[in-house]
Amino acid sequence: MLRDISQAQQILWAVNIVAGVFLLVLLAVHKNYRTYAAFSIYVFLNLILGVLAFLVYRRWGFLSNLSWSISWGMQALVLCARGLAIMEVCKHLLSHYRGVWALAWRILLGSASLVMLYAGLAARHGLGFVLPKAERALELAIAVVIVGVFVFLRYYEVEAKREDRSLALGFCLYSCFGVLNNTVLERFLDSYVALWNFLGMLAFLASMLLWTWALCKPKTEGSPKETLLPYGVYQTLAPQFNLRLRLLNEQLVQFWKTEATRN
Amino acid sequence: MNLTLILFFGFVALLLLALGWALRKPRNARNLPTDPHALEEGQRHVDYLPQIRQALAAADYDFLSKRVSRGALQRVRRDRRGIALAYLSALRGDFQNLLCMASVIAVLSPEVAAAHEFERLRLTTKFAWQYQMIRWKLMAGFAPLPQLDGLSALVSGLSVRMEAALKELGERAALTAELASPMNRGGLSAV
Repeated sequence: MLRDISQAQQILWAVNIVAGVFLLVLLAVHKNYRTYAAFSIYVFLNLILGVLAFLVYRRWGFLSNLSWSISWGMQALVLCARGLAIMEVCKHLLSHYRGVWALAWRILLGSASLVMLYAGLAARHGLGFVLPKAERALELAIAVVIVGVFVFLRYYEVEAKREDRSLALGFCLYSCFGVLNNTVLERFLDSYVALWNFLGMLAFLASMLLWTWALCKPKTEGSPKETLLPYGVYQTLAPQFNLRLRLLNEQLVQFWKTEATRN
Repeated sequence: MNLTLILFFGFVALLLLALGWALRKPRNARNLPTDPHALEEGQRHVDYLPQIRQALAAADYDFLSKRVSRGALQRVRRDRRGIALAYLSALRGDFQNLLCMASVIAVLSPEVAAAHEFERLRLTTKFAWQYQMIRWKLMAGFAPLPQLDGLSALVSGLSVRMEAALKELGERAALTAELASPMNRGGLSAV
């Protein structure tokens, strides 16, 4: 009996499953599973676990301890798959530029660790709601990593394929929403649980629609692989660029000081 | 309101702002150089410096103030400010072209040094801040217009020295060909 889950949630559940199946079919038909193997596994796993969760809730009810434990265990599995899918998308976005990618992944990993620490410190003390708190920290780290990749793309003026951008955007928005949803859950506890689940499903549906839209369109043709410069060029030029820029800035500072004195 | 709520909502808001900035197309993307010779083109603004200096000269303004009406003088002042702002903006364009080259070299390099990249980021941020300060001062009418002279000398010097640095490289020809391909597209594309 699904006495604890409202009619709307059940409908949304069904819609999510249909959307997941459609996305999987799309991945198979367009042979995108070759390019996005980890993403395809994530969607597949999510679909299977969604059906399993539905059966668990149907058997033991939405608010039982057993359902809670099983669903969080499955959630951990989904999070791992999501992590891999996100890593794959990030690699698609930046890894063609070896030097920048080598710098980017270190910074992003460092940022993710710091953000998880922040999330741990910012969370209320105590062992209550440990799993939602841990999930929130991971979601926040995921969002930071994806935003970081987009910032790198913008800073280096690198154009990425539309599909990769849309997949990353879907993950990012879902993670942002997950953080907010879990924060509100921590604040309002039991009174928010049903709505928390409903909104989480709604956010995931929105992400799936974005991914479906991205993968529905014909594949963006990539340009031929960029030829990298010889090893010594960057090492020779970068310090010179920085020296000129520093000189320019120093003179600007002097200019500014002159102005300040005059006024 | 709960502190946890503020901390997390605030953080997400900052993230979304950063995402919005990163997804927005650069306003001046169309003005990016289409080939490495754009460096020379960048110096065109400096070529007009003597005329601009003359137009902005204090002596010129004093001469006018004795001969024309107050209204006409104000109009001249407004026009001069417009010219100064346009010139400042053009100089920033030159500066950005040079930065664009630095970015292209970093993107196309098999190895980049974090120290150099962070330094460039810091310098770029600093320049942007200083530029905005000077611009606001100009717009508010606080900055004496001929002071722009210093800025233009800096940028023209930068262009010349950068070009010289490039010339020093033995593989200059190969490098130029390499650089021309991504810059012609006004951006780089992932495969």
